[in-house]
Amino acid sequence: MARPDASLLALQHAVEAQAREEGLDVPEVVYELVDHRELNEIAAYGGFPVRYPHWRFGMEYDRLLKGHSYGLQRIYELVVNTQPVVAYLLRQNSPLEQKLVMAHVCGHADFFRHNAWFAHTDLNMLDVMAGHAARVRSLADQRGMELVEGFIDVVQSIDNLIDVSALARARGRPGNAPPLDRAPPDGDVLGHLLLRAPLAEWQQEILGLLRDEAYYFAPQMLTKIMNEGWASFWHSRLMTGSLLRDAEVVDYACQHAGAMGGDDGPMNPYKLGLELYRHLLAAGPAGSAGAFGRGRGLDRLFEARAVHNDLTFVDSVLDEDFCRSRGLGQDAAECAAVRESLLASLTNGGQPVVRVVDSSGDLELEHIWSGSELQLDQAEETLRNLHALWRRPVRLRTRLENRAVLLTGTGDGVVREYGEVLPGRP
Amino acid sequence: MSAEGGSSRRIERDKTRFDDIVRGHIKHDLKRYITGGEMIGRKGRQLVSIPVPRIELPRLRFGRNGRGRGAGQGEGGGDGSAGEGAGSGAAGSQAGQHILEVELSLEEMAAILGEELELPNIQPRGRSRMTSPSRRFTSLRHTGPRSLRHMRRTWKQALRRQISEGSFDPARPRIVPNSDDVRYRSWKETTRPDHAAMILYMMDVSGSMGREQKEIVRLVSFWIDTWLRSQYQSLETRYVVHDAVAKEVDQETFYRLRESGGTKISSAYALAADLVGQHFPAAEWNIYLFHFSDGDNWSGRDTEKCLSLLKEKLLPDANLFCYGQVKSAYGSGQFKKDLDQALATDTRVISAEILDREGILPAIKAFLGKGL
Repeated sequence: MARPDASLLALQHAVEAQAREEGLDVPEVVYELVDHRELNEIAAYGGFPVRYPHWRFGMEYDRLLKGHSYGLQRIYELVVNTQPVVAYLLRQNSPLEQKLVMAHVCGHADFFRHNAWFAHTDLNMLDVMAGHAARVRSLADQRGMELVEGFIDVVQSIDNLIDVSALARARGRPGNAPPLDRAPPDGDVLGHLLLRAPLAEWQQEILGLLRDEAYYFAPQMLTKIMNEGWASFWHSRLMTGSLLRDAEVVDYACQHAGAMGGDDGPMNPYKLGLELYRHLLAAGPAGSAGAFGRGRGLDRLFEARAVHNDLTFVDSVLDEDFCRSRGLGQDAAECAAVRESLLASLTNGGQPVVRVVDSSGDLELEHIWSGSELQLDQAEETLRNLHALWRRPVRLRTRLENRAVLLTGTGDGVVREYGEVLPGRP
Repeated sequence: MSAEGGSSRRIERDKTRFDDIVRGHIKHDLKRYITGGEMIGRKGRQLVSIPVPRIELPRLRFGRNGRGRGAGQGEGGGDGSAGEGAGSGAAGSQAGQHILEVELSLEEMAAILGEELELPNIQPRGRSRMTSPSRRFTSLRHTGPRSLRHMRRTWKQALRRQISEGSFDPARPRIVPNSDDVRYRSWKETTRPDHAAMILYMMDVSGSMGREQKEIVRLVSFWIDTWLRSQYQSLETRYVVHDAVAKEVDQETFYRLRESGGTKISSAYALAADLVGQHFPAAEWNIYLFHFSDGDNWSGRDTEKCLSLLKEKLLPDANLFCYGQVKSAYGSGQFKKDLDQALATDTRVISAEILDREGILPAIKAFLGKGL
């Protein structure tokens, strides 16, 4: 790892000056130059140089390294939402690529500081993560790696069971996870476990750390399209507006096209986000005037990036006109279907909504039906894990097609019972 | 999963933990992978999917459910090795987990095979004057497959042409490449010094070698090949089949051919001596000879001839001569006895008896265990 040299710093200065000129609020950004192994390492750790020890990070690293060596994927940059913002640059990027990446990073940095869903995130997260890592490591030294890692396996299998809506109510309060001085919200299954499950002290500590990390990462999950779209919108605008030299235009176009393409087609979050912002800038959806607030032109974009998450952003910007012009659908019905399936995939960050009905004795959970089934074999395994923590029966109400299903996890395994036929579409 | 670099970075430790889980599982089932035959035909960096249970974490997530399935998740099964212990006692204390396919290259499989059988690395003989070509995609051409189109160079070329033609309008910068503009990535060849090895497989295809015997030979040869390929950068393989007469064949034929009739092993050895003598001078090549038969030779006199061919022609130039005797319903198995008796003192000669598929791993270990 190394700090940028004078020429890169000059480039950074020029890019950021231009970004500020055009209205972005770019906080202090510190760049680190890394080679591809270091970058893959940091990417495997979710953007951080240090995480707690666990084999899953090693698995992810292995996957990234292989993807890199087979030429399937290449990471250009990583940005971490901290104070100052830390961004990693691949050392062998060409000067043009570094310029492009820096312009892109300006967008992310602005987004982190202004999007409401990030309002409460702990900006010392580099230190916090390192602290978590040190704690887990020392617990592993005391208790044994196998035991600690096995427990983390269990916690990771349920760390999506948090209440992301708590993020919206967290204005002005620092810290990632909702504090547990009051009863946790119904959706915060991890919080309920932390308060009531009969855990050993070390288990409780680890569960607490992982819950905090889960809440830290949640806003990024909720704003993937918006965040990448915003960064892409700005790198495109800054580069083609003034930063590109003539000789770089074709190379830039190729890089940009590469980032916007890919297997996901129009659903590539970079591409989709960029197009949504452009759509919003160009017209604003017909018939929903006013939904975009007061401003005109860019102001409307700045406001959108401050208040929305992916779900609400797509909901208010993606209209029939957008679908038709971007080739997502040809008629009203097709466009409605595209909208609906995209919105469904974005609801609750793509995770099922599960809430605690009762945690005073046995743990009673309910899956709030939104039209999609849980994968039941996995749900059963998850219930086993929940029972391992709760040590009393754990029940989950969900449905399969149009029938109610009750899963009960006990020490003897998981039992599946089918209940009454429910109304509504399967 | 190869342990590149001696880094002690944290991620390497996590990766080691992951590798241990995967390797532990593969080693546990290694015999099944080696003797099952599903890897056959794969090469070096091609990926092999290994289902590893206990790796993917279960979650409450959306997903499809197969209809009409029972509740329980069976534990793998199907590998025929019943009688496994009941697993850890404490119910509910272990994370329930799912099966994940982990992709390994055959090179990595070879490394695991080597680790498990404790195969020593081979010290190539002598200093090689051989060079092997290596290709790097660093050049451009005017022709090539679509998949190798070099977009940036193509567009730049088109831009250059349009500017010189005067058809480029900066106000409406539309560039349309024509077929002359298109550039393709291409390679440059470089050479580097290298140790080279050749393997010659000889197989008895007389009437007594049945389908199962050939399958066993196939499996043994495939894993020998895989191992040696992980040891040498360039490897040539040649195949000889024989009954009463010998001929050189390609790999396909080697495994498929079923002849009938008598067996003169000397015919194969004589052909081998010719082949090696003509094409593979020992100064440049590390030479590996493998012969598989059911051990039923035509006559004692032919066996004599075989032994003298070995001593005089084949062994002086070879790193290793391995004889695998596959048991068949008809074979007497006499040849191995004769061979062992005559050449017991020569360390380059290794013989192994392969009764059935169970014998495959021990045979590989016997053949390659000396690191010659």
